[in-house]
Amino acid sequence: MNTEQQLKLQAFLDGELPEREARDVAAWLAQDKDATALLMELRNTRQALGGFEPEIRLPETREFYWSKIQREIQRLEPATPKKEAVPFSFWFWRLLIPAGAAALLAIAGLFAFLKLNPSSNPGAEMATMLADANPVTYRDQAEGMTVVWLSYPAEKEFTANSSGGRLP
Amino acid sequence: MADKNYSSADDAALVRDAQKGDMAAFEELVVRHRDKLYARAFSMMRNEQEAIDLSQEAWVKGWQRLNQFHGDSSFATWMTRIVINLCLDQLRKNKRHRAESIEEMDEESGGVERQMPAVVVNPTERLERGELRQRIDKALGQLSEEHRTVLVLHEFEELEYKEIAKTVGCSIGTVMSRLFYARRKLAALLADLKKEN
Repeated sequence: MNTEQQLKLQAFLDGELPEREARDVAAWLAQDKDATALLMELRNTRQALGGFEPEIRLPETREFYWSKIQREIQRLEPATPKKEAVPFSFWFWRLLIPAGAAALLAIAGLFAFLKLNPSSNPGAEMATMLADANPVTYRDQAEGMTVVWLSYPAEKEFTANSSGGRLP
Repeated sequence: MADKNYSSADDAALVRDAQKGDMAAFEELVVRHRDKLYARAFSMMRNEQEAIDLSQEAWVKGWQRLNQFHGDSSFATWMTRIVINLCLDQLRKNKRHRAESIEEMDEESGGVERQMPAVVVNPTERLERGELRQRIDKALGQLSEEHRTVLVLHEFEELEYKEIAKTVGCSIGTVMSRLFYARRKLAALLADLKKEN
């Protein structure tokens, strides 16, 4: 068995082979006793290591171990943990997303309100009365239309004309 | 703060408190995961004092970098990666201070174990748990740092070949070769230990 075959066998055991290559190795194992024996050895070693590390325990008391860590932290940094520089993109997304969502909601809400209750539109009807000339301005923003109604001096003229017996 | 019941809080809550500067919350995290961090350092360094020092250094670094932890992995995993990196740095420093022996160069290329017949009988069968632990401990101590590191990262940290290659800074082929050699040598050592008894 050459080195490449040995490493392939190991990769098979570790689940690192693509499906097709794994099938080829499985077929090879069915015919080669040496390969099967090597696979078994590798598997036994892996299993033996399985429960090893959790048994290792720190050989110091909790207080003593922590006191050294605490001292070092306080020596290096007497206050609270240093604030790391936060990248611009973090704040951009953190602020932009909720702000954008709130703006969209506000626009949608206003639009729905105006659609359902056109009379409440403050710009739909707007009348302006000027004291001297008595013009009346009607503005409908929904229709994009403005009408200016001037009753003076036309009314007076009409009155003057009508008093003379002539219609305009 | 003094009234807080830290022992019943989960890791995520303790991390949030610690990120705000609550050192008692951080202490609780240390208490919970100190054995795991020490075990990982000891598996890699094979030296009790170095393992204690490096695991403590990892906790200090963990505190300093707490604001970089966003919960992408568990807190224990995040801390374990810190201690692994510290161990790798220390192993590199140690290596610079000593000449590479002929045996180590032989190990890098595979050594005699690569060609030896497979150990067909499981040498760890029917062993008491404590006895098995002692044997593995002794056998791991006889591996070179390079082979032991790859074995620890694969078997205990459960990293894939490509993750080990990235962590250690070598090719996937080297990882596979070192892992294979480490397993074979470990099998041979465990078999020899059985014969001794």
